[in-house]
Amino acid sequence: MATEGSERFDQVDWSDLSRSGRFDLSINSIGMLLTTLPLALLAVYDTQFIGDRTPTFEFIGLDRTFEAVDFFFIFTLFLAFWYLVLPLYQNPRMTRYYWKEFRRNRPAVVSMVWLGIVFVGGIIGPLVMSAPQQELLVAYQPPVFTSVVESTPATCVGEVMNGRCHGTWEYPLGTTNAGRDVFTMIVYGMTISMQIAFITTTIVATIGITFGTLSAYSGGWVDEIMMRFVDIILSFPTFLMFLLILYIYGGGLGMFIVVFSLFAWGGTARYVRSKSLSISEEEFIKASRISGASTYQVIRGHVVPNVASSIITQLTLLIPGFLLFEAQLAFLGVGDSTVPSWGQLISAGRSDLSYAPWIVLAPGIVLFLTILAFNFLGDALLDALNPEAEAESE
Amino acid sequence: MTEPLLSVRDLKKHYPIRKGLFNRQVGAARAVDGISFDIEEGETLGLVGESGCGKSTAASSVIRLEEPTSGEVVFNGNGRGSASRNPDGTHPNDVTEFDDDELMQFRRGAQMIFQDPSSSFDPRMSVGSAVGELLKVHGMSDRHRRRAIVEDLLERVGLSASDFDRYPHEFSGGQKQRIALARALVLNPDLIIADEPVSALDVSIQAEILSLIDDLQEEFGLSLLFISHDMSVIRQICDRVAVMYLGEIVEIGPVEEIFTDPQHPYTEALLSSIPTPDPRASIGGIELKGTVPSPTNPPSGCRFHTRCHKVIQPDGVDIDQDDWRGLLNFREKVMTGEIDIEQVRENVAAGGNDPTDSEVRAEIRREFDISETVADPDLEETLSEAMNLLLDDNAEMAGEFLSDEITTPCAQTEPETTVHAPDHESACLRHEGRAAAEPNPADD
Repeated sequence: MATEGSERFDQVDWSDLSRSGRFDLSINSIGMLLTTLPLALLAVYDTQFIGDRTPTFEFIGLDRTFEAVDFFFIFTLFLAFWYLVLPLYQNPRMTRYYWKEFRRNRPAVVSMVWLGIVFVGGIIGPLVMSAPQQELLVAYQPPVFTSVVESTPATCVGEVMNGRCHGTWEYPLGTTNAGRDVFTMIVYGMTISMQIAFITTTIVATIGITFGTLSAYSGGWVDEIMMRFVDIILSFPTFLMFLLILYIYGGGLGMFIVVFSLFAWGGTARYVRSKSLSISEEEFIKASRISGASTYQVIRGHVVPNVASSIITQLTLLIPGFLLFEAQLAFLGVGDSTVPSWGQLISAGRSDLSYAPWIVLAPGIVLFLTILAFNFLGDALLDALNPEAEAESE
Repeated sequence: MTEPLLSVRDLKKHYPIRKGLFNRQVGAARAVDGISFDIEEGETLGLVGESGCGKSTAASSVIRLEEPTSGEVVFNGNGRGSASRNPDGTHPNDVTEFDDDELMQFRRGAQMIFQDPSSSFDPRMSVGSAVGELLKVHGMSDRHRRRAIVEDLLERVGLSASDFDRYPHEFSGGQKQRIALARALVLNPDLIIADEPVSALDVSIQAEILSLIDDLQEEFGLSLLFISHDMSVIRQICDRVAVMYLGEIVEIGPVEEIFTDPQHPYTEALLSSIPTPDPRASIGGIELKGTVPSPTNPPSGCRFHTRCHKVIQPDGVDIDQDDWRGLLNFREKVMTGEIDIEQVRENVAAGGNDPTDSEVRAEIRREFDISETVADPDLEETLSEAMNLLLDDNAEMAGEFLSDEITTPCAQTEPETTVHAPDHESACLRHEGRAAAEPNPADD
């Protein structure tokens, strides 16, 4: 193990060691930088050097365009990988412990599998499946194993028996009024849902943690002002604000995410503040302070990690709210109808509910399951990420 | 005489109490109010006292976890010895005046162990990283080197190198305290401040940890400031002991002398609280009544006089000591308005029919351990008079009357330090006449 024989703690010559060590980057930060750099370059290339209508990947012959939301989504994926997934791999003992605790909650495990499917579907799906095309000829195809009256679809793709059109595997969940494949649209909707989930979480967590810890550590009137600002944020009529922006600038998915996450971090900040105040009284914070660590090092090394694991639960429970809200706005017809979200799909099928219910039901059930899964997951994480409570009860 | 490793002079830590719209300071809790002591190299000084007497505050002020209000903490470790005072009277090794770089160096010279093993480790950090964190903060960026040092150290404190990757919740309290020791040791300090390091542990584990501390101290020549409320633990590990009461050191001396020949009544009371293993021994315990007074408004004169069992009687008074203590307690209670005469009446009435005045008087005497008649006629008269006033529901008058008539020198004069033997000092008025207080030799 030892690289220099067996050096003992009392043989270290401290005057030799410079204090440059505090600027060392961890492997995670290096990885983050290395992966973000090409992404940033690509974003710059996309916005500065090629026209608005040119696909981003034309230079390698791909017909794919990246929006700002896509860039930000990939950035949050990198963040999640380097600072959430990799640490789990780096600390196998803790991971095993968390998993052992998490596993006890069966519904949560099922939820995680479901969310895993949605996640992978959202990432891989658009890459392997081409976007659903409008094909009026195959409109209103029923899902596989079901049948509708022959007159409902324009032309029945499956076989017609006793005057009923049967569904086929070609369109496993049927088609919409414009002949788009519902299954493909749901997979594309997964991307949107994951984008909403990841980007809002990142924005809310970043602002909430920064604001909360700053407020807790500043104290005095700075704390007072910051917390009153949180009150304003919490009481702000976000929906009206969104409508206003919508009528002035028009609202895409990006606008929805930005507006709603910029007004959703109030509760998180408040929670982070109280949590950091209680953590900063713990003896391990004192121990860290007398080790010579600066306030920044103490906050970064002890306060934020401890706060973060408790707000993961809160954030997980915040995501369903956003998903539901997006669906509601889409259903009301407020929002960008070109975004292939589940809400838009539900909205598109509502007039056909009486004779083609699958257009509404399929995305509706997927949305319902996803929201349920996030709620189960949040509850289970609350129990799993709390080792000290466990130790005390032993 | 070589200079001590740590020399604390007149250290004070006052917490301001603020009130009102503009946060004006309306007072201060004097948690530590002028303590002085020295710790020699390789020596263990015990700091003992009740909860709330300021032991832990003293520790965190010495190590500059909190900024002391005033006073001087001269730390001569880290090869900073043989420094002389600056012309303006400040000391170059005064911890309270250290700048950031010097403070960083001081962190390598003095470390601390905390009381509660369950909260002294970050639950989300493996214990190896927690111990190695100190090395990292002080500039050792080589991960493998850190790991080697920490693994070696974990073995030294009685754990195994493979515990490096384990998390705090996987250890027992005693094991965590071993790791805490490793964390305190990892920068190779000269001084370790142990703030009640064993009070949260079982007795059998206490002994293990104490002997580990002892071994490590011997091996690495550590000095220790050992804080505890448990006299038997102090006796086991300390060379010298300082007894603290309400922010002040009332007695300091070699541990054997303190235990065999305590000079201050408070030390006597603390010592009598040690349980003896002999079942036939009578419990000769001195019972300290009441609680520690608030440090916001400490008693005048000797701070211990409100609870002292040897509180001095004024000239010309010579009554039973218990009676005198009872009288003072009675006076205190009347003055603070804590005696509710109706309540006393009800208590007496619970035994039978309507209480007569004399029954109430007897009840008050019983409550304050005052005998039927106080030996001194003047005092007896004062007491009866005060009780009459109380029975007439005139508690305020009674208080004023008592405060004029019953006084103790202890409440008026602050005791000076008396030297009993080299190294053994106490601060009690009863010794004032016995030995002239010579100036503290270290106080130059």
